Amino acid sequence: MSTTRDYERGPHARHQDLYPGEADPYPADYESGLNPDSGVYPDDAQEFWGDDRKPAANYQPHRSSKTADEWMEENIKFGGRGVKRKTAALILLGAWGFLPLFFMLPSLLTFNTNTIGGSVDDTLGTGAEMNLFLCLLVTPAVVLTGQRWFVPLRRWYGIMFACCGIGDALGAAFFDDFAGNPFAKLVEHTFTLIGFTMVLLAIPLFITSNNWAQRKMGRYWKRLQRLTYVIWGLLFFHLATLEGFGFERGNNGSGFAGDGDAIFHQRLYEYCACSVFLLTLRLPPVKRWIAARQQEGRSRLVFMAVAPIFALFVFGMIFIINELIFKGTHSFVENPSVE
Amino acid sequence: MNESYAERGYAERGYARGGQKSTRAGGVILGAIAFLCTFLVLWGLYYATGTGERHKVALAAAGCEPNLLSVNVGCTTVWMLERQWTQLTTSDVQQLNADVADYTVSQRRSLAKAKSALAAEVTTAKAFDTSLAQFPFPPAVAPSAKRLILAIQARIKLTAEQAGSSSLPQLRSFNARIDASGAEIQADMALVRKALFTRPTVNEEP
Repeated sequence: MSTTRDYERGPHARHQDLYPGEADPYPADYESGLNPDSGVYPDDAQEFWGDDRKPAANYQPHRSSKTADEWMEENIKFGGRGVKRKTAALILLGAWGFLPLFFMLPSLLTFNTNTIGGSVDDTLGTGAEMNLFLCLLVTPAVVLTGQRWFVPLRRWYGIMFACCGIGDALGAAFFDDFAGNPFAKLVEHTFTLIGFTMVLLAIPLFITSNNWAQRKMGRYWKRLQRLTYVIWGLLFFHLATLEGFGFERGNNGSGFAGDGDAIFHQRLYEYCACSVFLLTLRLPPVKRWIAARQQEGRSRLVFMAVAPIFALFVFGMIFIINELIFKGTHSFVENPSVE
Repeated sequence: MNESYAERGYAERGYARGGQKSTRAGGVILGAIAFLCTFLVLWGLYYATGTGERHKVALAAAGCEPNLLSVNVGCTTVWMLERQWTQLTTSDVQQLNADVADYTVSQRRSLAKAKSALAAEVTTAKAFDTSLAQFPFPPAVAPSAKRLILAIQARIKLTAEQAGSSSLPQLRSFNARIDASGAEIQADMALVRKALFTRPTVNEEP
């Protein structure tokens, strides 16, 4: 059943672009009438399936072939038990999000302040950036593939982003070399002030990243989640004030040039390389163009057009992950990197 | 393609606002960005082919110590050595100073407390010695570092002997020799520090 507002905006207006960590209250399959209880929908959408909108239980739409989402719902044998393909895939993909915290775990458990102070900003800061980009990657991936089985990862990466960001701020506040009390350390430089603002914005998103909060807040939940885009924008200024717009020449500038590739290690450039893809596929005219080509059955054209933009995303992401793994392994063995 | 974006209504919305024309802007935007990205990716790949040559220049420019390898950057810079050295020595030297202060307080009052302070000093000095042995000293600094390590080991041996004393006067009889070894260690540490913080000469660079 559509609401009055839905009619005003057209029958498809309900399918707004979603936000990180957000469940789609109107799953794509709703209009096809597929029974939501069959488990086709993202887990985080189940709670939103009100009785008034529920299609008939025996209604089955015509499907020419099995969808990827349905295929992911099927069980595979694992250790004598049946495990959904989707569950296995989500665990494997989601594990990446936990990697930054995993790297810091030994120093946190042993309270090794030397390691925490020396590398928490590199490990958890870079980890937070990676998780934010992975979180923001889910919507473009849905746009391009039409598949939804990986949508729960958006919430997971969002939560991991918040955990890494908060951990980074705590580490900087209590164990960094800057002068002053913990609060002063977070606000005395422009880049730390911006980072601190990002963490403050991430806290309400983190607290409300559950179905209960989603139900209680209703439409305001979505508005709140839009803060993610503010955080994304602030990250640009955080990195711009931290790294500057240039790159290292000799001993000056940012992007450590020990391997001769200062440009690739410049974090602001990495950010820009990744953000072009994430931003482009959120532009309404681009989304309309993609949808039109998909409807014409010219998905290959869409992939060809998007491929170079995605290649640039991968190019930037490679160096973010490179830094995370390099600094992270040093943190894990509690021998923080000084590079 | 299953459950495509188009099926969810974006295409209909686009067409409803003026048919094919309404999606043209998106195509132009996407095409322009894709063209720019193609250029950037190709340039990045081309730039990456010159990494080896730039690496050599970067090694010299960053004041790299020769023959020291780091996984990521392929060298250890003077700056990195300075930071590593400072991290290594600061905490251990502070702890050693605290142990010595404990001993100084208790050497005339309590044999048990003095011996306990000496045992703690031995433990800290052994840990410091182990850390020094693992430190990536450049070849130019290695002889000074070796002298420092030997001096610390001699001090550990002497302190252990002192901790085995059976009376306070016997304990204090080691003080002069301990002070002399302390002065030797400090001199060696100053030499190592100076050598580490000095940029390599041209013929030492790779």
